[in-house]
Amino acid sequence: MAEISLRRLTKRFGTVAAVHDLSLTLASGELVALLGPSGCGKTTTLRMIAGFESPTQGRVLLADRDVTEAPPEDRNCGMVFQNYALFPHLTVHQNVSFGLQMRKVPRAAIGPRVDEILARVGLGGLGHRYPRQLSGGQQQRTALARALVINPSVLLLDEPLANLDAKLREEMRFFIRSLVREFHITTLYVTHDQAEALVLADRVAVLIDGVLQQFDTPEAVYRRPRTVRVASFIGLTNLIPGRVTAHSADRLVLETGIGPLRAHGPADLRDGMDALLSLRPETIELGTRGPAAPGDGANHLRGIVRERAFLGSLFDYRVDVGGGTLLRVQSGVTAVHQVEDEVTVSFQPAAGWVLPGGGG
Amino acid sequence: MQAAVASPRARSDVRAWRRGLLIAPALGVMLVFFVLPYLNLLLISFFTPSHQAPYLRVLTLANYARVVRDPFTWGVVWRTLWLGALTTILSLVLSYPVAYHLARASRRIKGVLMILVISPLLVGVLIRTYGWIILLQDTGVINQGLRALGIGRLPLMYNQTGALIGLVHVFIPFMVLSLAGSIQGIDPELEMEARSLGAGAWRTFWRVTLPLSLPGVLAGTVLVFVLAISSYVIPSLLGGFTVLTVPILVVRTITELFNWPAGSAFAILFFAITLALVWLYLRLLGRISRPVT
Repeated sequence: MAEISLRRLTKRFGTVAAVHDLSLTLASGELVALLGPSGCGKTTTLRMIAGFESPTQGRVLLADRDVTEAPPEDRNCGMVFQNYALFPHLTVHQNVSFGLQMRKVPRAAIGPRVDEILARVGLGGLGHRYPRQLSGGQQQRTALARALVINPSVLLLDEPLANLDAKLREEMRFFIRSLVREFHITTLYVTHDQAEALVLADRVAVLIDGVLQQFDTPEAVYRRPRTVRVASFIGLTNLIPGRVTAHSADRLVLETGIGPLRAHGPADLRDGMDALLSLRPETIELGTRGPAAPGDGANHLRGIVRERAFLGSLFDYRVDVGGGTLLRVQSGVTAVHQVEDEVTVSFQPAAGWVLPGGGG
Repeated sequence: MQAAVASPRARSDVRAWRRGLLIAPALGVMLVFFVLPYLNLLLISFFTPSHQAPYLRVLTLANYARVVRDPFTWGVVWRTLWLGALTTILSLVLSYPVAYHLARASRRIKGVLMILVISPLLVGVLIRTYGWIILLQDTGVINQGLRALGIGRLPLMYNQTGALIGLVHVFIPFMVLSLAGSIQGIDPELEMEARSLGAGAWRTFWRVTLPLSLPGVLAGTVLVFVLAISSYVIPSLLGGFTVLTVPILVVRTITELFNWPAGSAFAILFFAITLALVWLYLRLLGRISRPVT
């Protein structure tokens, strides 16, 4: 059963399409991250699902029911906002009780259910406090408890960790993930933080300028981006323009300004097409010796280190490989190259992913 | 050692004192034009009435005794408070939706709305009131329209209704601005959250928006109530001779009966009653809205 299904959803503000022809289906219990830069239409999408914006076109289905015209209070969505939106005039206990009261749950049943969920999110004994007396993390937990206690059919999270400091954010990622698993609740998690999306989600929907670019597993989105915009939005990458000269299945050769490079890519690439090679900095190896084993099938280049930065667990190099191309390379701290060192640059064909399109 | 500890504190005392100097001009104006006249009024209220002079400088409690014992006084006090309460409630009910829209409007629309809201204050009180007379009198625009529709004539002027209409009109801006400031401070996401938790629009208003805007309601209602019960021009022009409020009676006692001490005593008594009522109101409502602030 699909708990959330968006069918060709479009939202226009005036002439601007905030969301364009978005179709997305979440399986039951699935945690999907809706990832994109700010202003890409993520929040608008979330608000259309929750019922705070009505779509210009398209349908919203929740638990197989068409709710496109339904008011927010009839959609049974659990919602957590970036600022948590805790009612400041109510205690933690009253905040969490609110949804149950609105659902006309008998008074006697509310107390135990609230206490139970507060204990589950680690807020046992804090029910009498007001939101302003809580830390950021505790407020976040309160908001989660309030959204979960009503047994919503879906959970909608709008940048829930954006206001927490880095350490707490990491902790809360895993906490949210375990909660979602435990309650087996279909969750849409809106974020602009790619690391958050990759860590948390079963699948990632990448939304840029209101258009769904790719909807796939975190690994696929990272390793096999479908568009240049996805490749450059998620993680760091080198983009090298070229032309496809030979291909078989997903193996191909790209003629570039730094010579022919072996890589792989989607099956619909044709010979003679302009294309871009996306090469992640951590998949490139730097060496000091001459071309080692040219027959190993890897790509080998020569280059000169132009810049080096220390990132703690690794070094970040910029290597000039000729043809006006600077490659960004990240490698471990065991083999250290100095600026102006001559180095060999090599990567496996499986590391390079070719995207249709030229220029960039 | 001791000097080193004491000197920064002494310096900050000096700084606080200098900051205090900044309010001196306002304090001076208040003292000369408000506190001193009020003290003078208080003094006069204990003097003896006279036919030869405004008062005789002989202290007495007779003025208060007369005012307090006179049932007519209490009738006027009661009607004044009642008119003030009606004005306040009507202003609140009419202003809340306007204030809500003002608070939630985009910046551009906000400017236009703001000018519309304060427009009653841009016209002088006499001109505004004569405008109302043209509209409300028996042969006025509204009654002509009603007659044309076959509804007949409604007594809209020279009674409490007329005074009420005039007062509500002029005090709505005060109410709207007090409320809007408070509503603007409420995160719209709180209302969204309430809706998604299953509260309809109406319950969201009662459970979230209204409680969180109570400070504004408090400020607006006190402001309008105090202004309404002390207003003179509007009730006397639109109310005619049938509406007798405390300010009207005080003015008549002083200017027509030439009884300065009695008028002063009545004014002081009413001031005390108002103060007590406002204090009580703030205490009661203030307790309800305390966790918000």
